[in-house]
Amino acid sequence: MNNFWTTFSHTASKRVRTKAFAISTGIMAFLIIALLNIPNIIDMFSDGEEAVMEAVILDDTEFALAEQFQDTDQITYEAADTDPGEAEETYTDGETVIVLSGPLESMEAVLYDAPPAVEMDVQAQLQQVKDQAAAEEADLSEAQLALLQAPVQVSTQSFTDDGGAAPEEAGSGSYWMVYALVFIIYLLVITFGSMIATEVATEKSSRVMELIVSSINPVTQMFGKLFGIGAAGALNLLILGGAAVVGLWMSSEEMLRFIVNDILDVSLLGYALLFIALGYFLYGGVAAMLGALVSRAEEVNQAIQPLIFLAMIAFFLSIMALNAPELTVFRVLSYVPFFTPQLLFLRIGMGTVPGWEIGIIIVLLVLSVVLINLLAARVYKGGVLLYGRFSFKKSVKQALALSRKE
Amino acid sequence: MTLKLESLEKTFGSHTAVGGINAEVAPGSMFGMLGANGAGKTTTFRMILGLLDPTSGTAEWNGRRIGYDRTHLIGYLPEERGLFPKLTVKDQLVYLMRLNGMKRQDTIKEMRSWLERFQVEEYENKKVEELSKGNQQKIQFMAAVLHRPELLILDEPFSGLDPVNADMLKEAVLSIQKNGTTIVFSSHQMRNVEELCEEILMLKEGRVVLEGHLNDIKRSYSMKNIRIRADHDFSITETPGSILSVSSNKLETVVQVNGEEAVKDVFYQASADGYLRHFAVEEPSLHDIFIDKAGGNEHE
Repeated sequence: MNNFWTTFSHTASKRVRTKAFAISTGIMAFLIIALLNIPNIIDMFSDGEEAVMEAVILDDTEFALAEQFQDTDQITYEAADTDPGEAEETYTDGETVIVLSGPLESMEAVLYDAPPAVEMDVQAQLQQVKDQAAAEEADLSEAQLALLQAPVQVSTQSFTDDGGAAPEEAGSGSYWMVYALVFIIYLLVITFGSMIATEVATEKSSRVMELIVSSINPVTQMFGKLFGIGAAGALNLLILGGAAVVGLWMSSEEMLRFIVNDILDVSLLGYALLFIALGYFLYGGVAAMLGALVSRAEEVNQAIQPLIFLAMIAFFLSIMALNAPELTVFRVLSYVPFFTPQLLFLRIGMGTVPGWEIGIIIVLLVLSVVLINLLAARVYKGGVLLYGRFSFKKSVKQALALSRKE
Repeated sequence: MTLKLESLEKTFGSHTAVGGINAEVAPGSMFGMLGANGAGKTTTFRMILGLLDPTSGTAEWNGRRIGYDRTHLIGYLPEERGLFPKLTVKDQLVYLMRLNGMKRQDTIKEMRSWLERFQVEEYENKKVEELSKGNQQKIQFMAAVLHRPELLILDEPFSGLDPVNADMLKEAVLSIQKNGTTIVFSSHQMRNVEELCEEILMLKEGRVVLEGHLNDIKRSYSMKNIRIRADHDFSITETPGSILSVSSNKLETVVQVNGEEAVKDVFYQASADGYLRHFAVEEPSLHDIFIDKAGGNEHE
């Protein structure tokens, strides 16, 4: 156990202390903070020129609508009594000129020199003031008007097999979060998978491996490495999580509300962490085994290609499944351990999976993680002493023979 | 504290790498394991270390198999040298010694005294990849001995070293032995073995072809060299089985013979025509024995 921690801390600290780790984490943290502060950044650059747009309203209707336009943060409205016919001659210094005309049934606004933001705002405000005017014309009370204007709500839910309500995570609101997390799981699995394989192969090709395994059990060493790199990765994620919190804290209140209400889903985040961890140990175990089978660091890429392909297939399946998560084919495929982290997560996120099924599939995944790592440890033990040209079938056979107790 | 090998055997498929070795290494002694490339030395070492499980037989240190609970008692210098190229000398020794249960401070103290002894103090904070091969070898040696093991296994410790460094290493090995460490080492440089070892074991294709105390082996070895110097010309006829080879140079004639009778035969043949100024029967060098027994595959 002592040696496990020695390997663990050696692996983790070696990785964390590299420049590459610091730089890549720094860049990603910066990007996250920047992304969450896009509105602030835009404001920063547009300050002064766009802050206040002035619009002059020439009201040619018989309802005095110009007075009812409300100023917004970016636009101030001013009612003027210039003759609409002379609009073009009167205002040429960058102000927007709005000419309102027509009766209630065909009200019209013509905008001169209008930026898109003003156009949108006028559209919305004119509709409102026109409704108001129409309501007064028809003698409606405030309450009746409110009824008329009350918005409707549309949402998606799905049935579970036992006919009950779908799990809480259901809903298309989490679509983007699922999309992002599926991508993150995929990215982490390949990054860390090849990191582990490279690390093992490097120690083997520099031949320091024989010295190490003469001091500690290769199996202990393998798990020390697996957990060590995992810890470095977790630290990375933690820093990025911290960056997200800082970014949110710095960003505007609307952004915060938007993220918290429309994108973030805490229980989904929990599932994501679980699948990242399980996926890591599933793919990582195989990667360590493959790394132990090659003799030179240059052969790592060739050796782990099949593993990368598996992760890629899982990713593309998930992208397809995003639009039709309820299809049987995706349901069946989510039982395949190498696809489970992404596909099951997606099914949970899109709300098409009952609780008992989540339980069964996760148990299956945990079992395969244990089995794969037991096998990997066996191959690893024999593989680290094996040198020669890489051939998967031959190498695994030889490695198993070497590690066998006779 | 004895190293005991009992009918130690390892087969890979149909190939027998090591075929039944029996040996006992006395505590504090220096034991030489000889053999051509592929004779089974490294496989034997790996079985002693517990890196490989024997097909049959046992290898025991102090009456027990060497498992991962006792690896800190063993020091190992593998034939294929290997260190972390990107780590500094200090960092890697600290890590490797931690695996042997040694504290950081102790490792650093011990490391400094060794660096001083090898006259390379300035390498403490250098990366290993920046060192010359000979200096890397010194660090590799330190990785095997820093934790003061009871049993030290050195696989080809002198290969690739220049004479100055080889002597330095030889002295280090002797001083470690003086401190009570039992040492097993393999080499195919016979001169080193003759200088250092009392007991040897010679392997050929996984089987023991020779074993015992070095002096006994030499004395009882029936193959001998005769050096003859004379003023007259003489000729000696080779006879299969007894007079093996005759070679002359300006100074002397060297005859390789097998058995006491052959010596007499050579003496009569050479002295028949005149006076011999010099006639000496020499015990064979280990080099000769090696070539005779292990089959001329030596690379020196």
